[in-house]
Amino acid sequence: MTKILHTLVAAGITHVVGLPDNTSAPLFDALSDHLWIRLVTVTREGEAFAIASGLWLGGASPLVVIQNTGLLESGDSLRGTAARMGAPIPILITGRGYSKMKEARLKPSDLRERDLLTRGDVDSVALLTEPTLEVWGVPFERCEGEDDPSTVLARTIDSARSTERPTAVVMARGLT
Amino acid sequence: MLTRAQVLDPLVQYRTDEIIVTTMGATRPWGRISDSDLDFASADSAMGHAADLALGIALARPDRTVLCLNGDGSMLMTLGTLATVVGSEATNYVLFVMDNGVFEITGHQSVAASGQIDYAAMAQAAGFQRVFFFEDARSYAEAVEDILTQPGPTCVHLLVEPGSEGPISRNDREKGRYLRTSLADWSRTFKAALETKDQKQT
Repeated sequence: MTKILHTLVAAGITHVVGLPDNTSAPLFDALSDHLWIRLVTVTREGEAFAIASGLWLGGASPLVVIQNTGLLESGDSLRGTAARMGAPIPILITGRGYSKMKEARLKPSDLRERDLLTRGDVDSVALLTEPTLEVWGVPFERCEGEDDPSTVLARTIDSARSTERPTAVVMARGLT
Repeated sequence: MLTRAQVLDPLVQYRTDEIIVTTMGATRPWGRISDSDLDFASADSAMGHAADLALGIALARPDRTVLCLNGDGSMLMTLGTLATVVGSEATNYVLFVMDNGVFEITGHQSVAASGQIDYAAMAQAAGFQRVFFFEDARSYAEAVEDILTQPGPTCVHLLVEPGSEGPISRNDREKGRYLRTSLADWSRTFKAALETKDQKQT
């Protein structure tokens, strides 16, 4: 987790706004008493985008951290705040269901038909995450396998800032 | 019950350098009487997310009071924000819930449990430092200066008469300057104004 924290500090992230899951919990724990980065825990993921957009308006540099299930809850908030405002907000999305999807030899581009969405051995949220980001106009990069989470996250932060729009990394692996 | 003007006029009178975030039924009336770059319309925006957007500004700018003119319908969409405000420990945050019992912008449809919810009690139970309830103009006007100047977080529940504001757009025909440009462009105007005022103060 130290490497991720260094990445955030080096990138000038001032606030992390989000809701933890098993994957992101160590990051939230590490930020709970961090010297430079303030943690804002929300009750529902849609709040995270509105708060992050307000933070940006106020001159701060927030990072949103949510699970992909929470991303699906956040549609109107993400659309109506960060995306509509052209706010350069990086989003770290932890990817529930990606390991099951891999075990089932499926991929996000597979047709999302009834039989696939109702399969008991597949977590449908993983199937829907990347198509949803594409439809919502949020550029993203998937971090998986041997990819270095810190490197990909740094790239995502840079991309959000250079393109002035919310930009995501889908973390289909652990943070360390 | 207060009229919208009875809610907004005292704010113009006592406002100094506060940031004002408006949404839904308060957006146009505020734009008609205020012309500050530190006004922000959460309009043509995300449903129900003015209160949390305002919280973000407050957290970024603890040196300034941030006032959100929210409606009851919008408040009901993000009640969890009451808990987030308290958890964030923001003391420079003032949340108005202008309770007219209806979704005025979309045609006066009744909100859930219209007229039955005590928003001040909800905020107090969540842990807000200060809460107020007003149903008459005089007691409200007498309290406005105190509301704006004392540490919070503060929630103000006001019973207001439904108005006749229709759907809000962003175009040259709008009277409020903050509605005559896109959300993206006004966001940059607002940010620049905050930075400029900082430079003037230093």
